[in-house]
Amino acid sequence: MAASSSFFSRTLLPAYGLLVVGLPLAGLGYALAGSLGVAGPLAGGFTLHYWRGLGAQTGLLGAVLYSAWIALAAVGVAAALALWLVLGAQEALRRGPLRLLLHLPLLMPALVVAFYLFQLLSRSGWLSRLSYQSGLTTSIEGFPELVQDAAGVGIILAHVLLTFPLLTLLLQAIYEESRLDEFRQLTLTLGASGGQFRRRVAAPVLLGRAAPTLLLSFIATLGAYDIPLLLGRPYPQMLSVYIATRLQRFDLRELPAGYLAGFLVALGLLALIGLLVRLHRRHAL
Amino acid sequence: MSALLTVTSLTKRFGSQPVLLNVSLELGSGQVLAVLGRSGGGKTTLLKILAGLEAPDDGQLYLLGQDLRPLPPNERQVVYLYQEPLLFPHLSVFENVAFGLRIRRVPEPEVQAQVTAMLAELDLLDHARKAPHQLSGGQRQRVAFGRALIIRPRLLLLDEPFGNLDAQTRADMQQLFLHVSRQHQISSIFVTHDSREALTVGSRFAYLEAGQLTSFAARADFVQDPRTGITSELAFWRSVEAQR
Repeated sequence: MAASSSFFSRTLLPAYGLLVVGLPLAGLGYALAGSLGVAGPLAGGFTLHYWRGLGAQTGLLGAVLYSAWIALAAVGVAAALALWLVLGAQEALRRGPLRLLLHLPLLMPALVVAFYLFQLLSRSGWLSRLSYQSGLTTSIEGFPELVQDAAGVGIILAHVLLTFPLLTLLLQAIYEESRLDEFRQLTLTLGASGGQFRRRVAAPVLLGRAAPTLLLSFIATLGAYDIPLLLGRPYPQMLSVYIATRLQRFDLRELPAGYLAGFLVALGLLALIGLLVRLHRRHAL
Repeated sequence: MSALLTVTSLTKRFGSQPVLLNVSLELGSGQVLAVLGRSGGGKTTLLKILAGLEAPDDGQLYLLGQDLRPLPPNERQVVYLYQEPLLFPHLSVFENVAFGLRIRRVPEPEVQAQVTAMLAELDLLDHARKAPHQLSGGQRQRVAFGRALIIRPRLLLLDEPFGNLDAQTRADMQQLFLHVSRQHQISSIFVTHDSREALTVGSRFAYLEAGQLTSFAARADFVQDPRTGITSELAFWRSVEAQR
């Protein structure tokens, strides 16, 4: 027993630490070195050239803003839907097939959902064909752009489809664990209406306790790759697609700018994760 | 004295299981009816029906001559206090107490004045900005009292409110309850399974078992009834005393 414990602490734990902390940090360090011209295939020595050129890289700023918009809209809509269901359909969530149906999208890979939405919503997709056959549209251009559109409606929809069932199940678990049914009865006897209970008690309690998961969903959406790759446009691009495109170009002189973008995005995500840890600590009290 | 609350022939079943059978009672203004009974006797159901959280199958409920049955719980001005204080975890002590005033859109200066006075009365002024998880069990229960009292309920329903407190805190809370009840002339029904607590807080007494309520005209009758277990407990302590 003592020997296996010693093997775990001396060998497995450091190896695991290296895998989850050391290697990502090494990657981050390599990206920083690459952006400073001291690492990479065409490294020519230390330079701040790529950092100075950061201001001129409107593509990166565009990708940051576009990704933030997509993540905010997707998590916002998913959270609003989940909250609406939990506050308005308690009976259905406790009994009946809704709970089971909410688990199903959790089994679907993101790429499958993206592909399904592409088939459904693109101008050559099922809905467009149905609307053409029923006379609602007279040409392929008559159907609105719902995927590969400028506002990212398709990407947002795919993320909402994947995230809202998870958030609904989470909020329902918090509802039950926080004894919000008893709070509802108490607030009624204190004179509150059902709406006042939902606005003043239930929603703040649910959203407050779900805040770390909401932030985690925001981070995951911000860094998503396969959905924006299939449902997004060449411009504007989401961050992960933008960085991957830069790193995969044939011109190796573009690599340091790609490293710089990757480094900055990783730093931003780490800051968000730091915020997440703080939120976790606060809610653990 | 005319009755504040009149309950007549109240009946409630859950499926085929009778929970309350022809329960009748009267409560005068400013009185505390202590209802003693074991778990599963129908005490909580009785309180929930009075609060409007459960519907009776049959019977009449009148509060100050007003038929309570058509009134939803938020229009009854009857507050139901659980065994747990159930403080709103996202609000400070001040805002918990202010809750009933906020939902009634009472002007801010009035809220500040009333809540401050209530916190002072409950000896909670120093804790006004604290979160509920920073309080002790007794302090939380005091905040729950303040939150209920501030809306001046016509009737207060207490469902074993001190059941989770240690003996000393429980005794302190019983005294505090008596003090604020008299101070605010609160009429209440206090449900407990502890005969000593019933005798401490009650001005009228009843015993509820298997859905049937027995009201006692006098404290002595309550003490003498063998179902309350008070006489047997007294006999036990006398025998202990005799053996010393």
